[in-house]
Amino acid sequence: MTLLSDIISASAQLHNSNHPPSDEYDRQVRELVQYFRRLQTTKALDSLANDESFLDRFDPAIDSIPYLFVLHVQIQKAQELNADSFPADIRPSGKLWICAAHFLTSFDGVQVKYAGREWRQLIELVGQVSQAASMASATLVKDAMLRLDPSCAVFTSSHLLLVRLCLEAKAYSCALPVLNKQICHFPISLGSPPSDPSVLCADHGSGVSFMTEDSRISSKLSYRDYLQYFLYGGMVYMALKEWRNALHFLGIVISTPSTNSVSLIMVEAYKKWVLVSLLEKGKLCPPPSITTPHVAKVYQSIARPYIILAHAFERGDLKRLNAEIDAANGVWCADNNLGLVTQVVGAFFSQTVIKLGKTFAALTMVDLSKQVFPSPVSAEVTGSAVSSLIMSRDLNATLVQTKDDAESSMLRFSSIHSLPRLSHELDLQSQLKQEMKLMETMVINLGKTNHNLGLSDEYVDSLHKGQVWSGSSEVNPIVGVEAGLEMDEDLMGDMS
Amino acid sequence: MELPLLTTEHLSKLVASNAPPSQLFEALSRYELQACLISTRGDSANTGGSDSTLLSLFYSSFFLIHLLTDQVSEARALTKQIPEALLQQDPSLQNCLTLLRAVWQTQHGQVYQVLRGLPWPDVLQPLVRRYESFFQDKTLIAVSRSYEAIRLATAATHLGLDQNLAKEEDPNIISNFTKYGWTWDPESKLLYPKPIVVSLAEPQSSNGIHKAMAMLGTRAG
Repeated sequence: MTLLSDIISASAQLHNSNHPPSDEYDRQVRELVQYFRRLQTTKALDSLANDESFLDRFDPAIDSIPYLFVLHVQIQKAQELNADSFPADIRPSGKLWICAAHFLTSFDGVQVKYAGREWRQLIELVGQVSQAASMASATLVKDAMLRLDPSCAVFTSSHLLLVRLCLEAKAYSCALPVLNKQICHFPISLGSPPSDPSVLCADHGSGVSFMTEDSRISSKLSYRDYLQYFLYGGMVYMALKEWRNALHFLGIVISTPSTNSVSLIMVEAYKKWVLVSLLEKGKLCPPPSITTPHVAKVYQSIARPYIILAHAFERGDLKRLNAEIDAANGVWCADNNLGLVTQVVGAFFSQTVIKLGKTFAALTMVDLSKQVFPSPVSAEVTGSAVSSLIMSRDLNATLVQTKDDAESSMLRFSSIHSLPRLSHELDLQSQLKQEMKLMETMVINLGKTNHNLGLSDEYVDSLHKGQVWSGSSEVNPIVGVEAGLEMDEDLMGDMS
Repeated sequence: MELPLLTTEHLSKLVASNAPPSQLFEALSRYELQACLISTRGDSANTGGSDSTLLSLFYSSFFLIHLLTDQVSEARALTKQIPEALLQQDPSLQNCLTLLRAVWQTQHGQVYQVLRGLPWPDVLQPLVRRYESFFQDKTLIAVSRSYEAIRLATAATHLGLDQNLAKEEDPNIISNFTKYGWTWDPESKLLYPKPIVVSLAEPQSSNGIHKAMAMLGTRAG
């Protein structure tokens, strides 16, 4: 029998197996993956490396495993035969790239759970060869991630790859379906094989059960990857002017625990944090309360020009603001923050008008122009700018026109008319719904984290030690968690 | 299910369909990858072939659907993804850029001028008309909440109505506002808007709030 007929027969067994989740199906897929890994190790698959018709015989939606492994071999062969590590065949629109795209848009999510390493390698390759077509690669990576794990709750190297590709391609909204998901886990180390063999093909609603360290769906993650993901994510939100979300992401970066040195990524994030807080809140927000005090001090000293700029903004002094911007022009350019700084100047008008609302109940357009603009500006221009602010809901106020001219028009702050009660309550209800969805996700993931911690070697060890130390057999397994927590304190006993 | 191939005929049908904007957005989002692949086949704008026609139609439609689903920032981001040569040479995409500028700068009068005055291809007309209507409704709601009293001419500018008729205090122009409960005072020659309230959320249901409260209760402490 030829290798091809062997493969066809091996994958046919999978077709005949019971529909997942079942132990039988689980066993079949594991065996199939092992079979292909053996073929790969023994170089037996190399005989298919140049068989152009092989991939056409298989449908990646049904035979994801054979397709993935043979595609890998063909890509490797193409790379070996060319001096260029990314030959034409694997570049966008190349023969193998199209096969990869076909696979990533249609693979069977259950089967691929068993071949996480190969899936990840393909994703990385698609990302590396992107260059001119990083938009296409970003779309492919995003679709593949959501196909494999719709919750995207486990942080993987693919998260970082996707956000980087989206930034390169300026395909900001492409990152949103993943960025908007809550990350609740890192890939865990199971230590020993799971006791439940059907765990992979069962539908768990989240990737935490199969996106483990052993699956190698993610490459090894570092502290830097984590910081970069949230910084890049913040930059995507900034590009889309979703300042609130950007602030949240940057807040995660700048408040990351640090013992002595401060990462450059954290400093970069803090600089952006200063500017985004001016755009979102009109003032310099202190770093999140969990930020280590010595880290906050480092920020203050390294990001000095940004702090000075923020103070000028807060004081409402446009001349001073412009002077500070001109003085540190080189800094903004070097930090790639010139665009944000320009937007801060643009936001000065709206923030000044909003602040006036804290002092005045109402102002005519003429008075408003005098208060806001250093040089004379017509009341019509002011009226048009204020009208835009109110209509875009950046300013909570109303305009009262008179029949005569623009000058006598009035801006009225905090009018009952401006915020109809029903509208306010509907907005509140919508916000509550969003918060409720978020909490549901958090509660589900908290349960999973709790479960995983309960299975970890550290926990089992500490529980075991606790039983020994207690000197009795009265350890109630039901209150195991509490017992474990007590043991954490007793661990200091080793020191005495 | 296999996605049908991106073709001008298929796109034209989609664009002309009466499907809700969110569905159209979903449908076109699925074609993004195909459009990217077509654009990487070569410098489409220079070939002058069917690729550039197809890409122009795809990106123009996708842009308008972004606006129709109120995703202005995303629409702006989309313009950065379109192949530069195509963007600079294609009249429909140039119209999209002009429209984006007007929408971004909230120049309401300019928005209507672009939508009504610029030469849009026939195939895009259904989307252009839908967006005009959407923009008009959205602006009417915003004006109703932003003004306590407004001159007829200003209101007409916001809604893209005839300025000359507004100056003449034409009853038809006035009825455009009074049918929404606004009051017209012929003495002061001012309109007094009645705020229009629209729920951005799903239909009202207090169940959601009860659930959230119950969850807060069980997780507290």
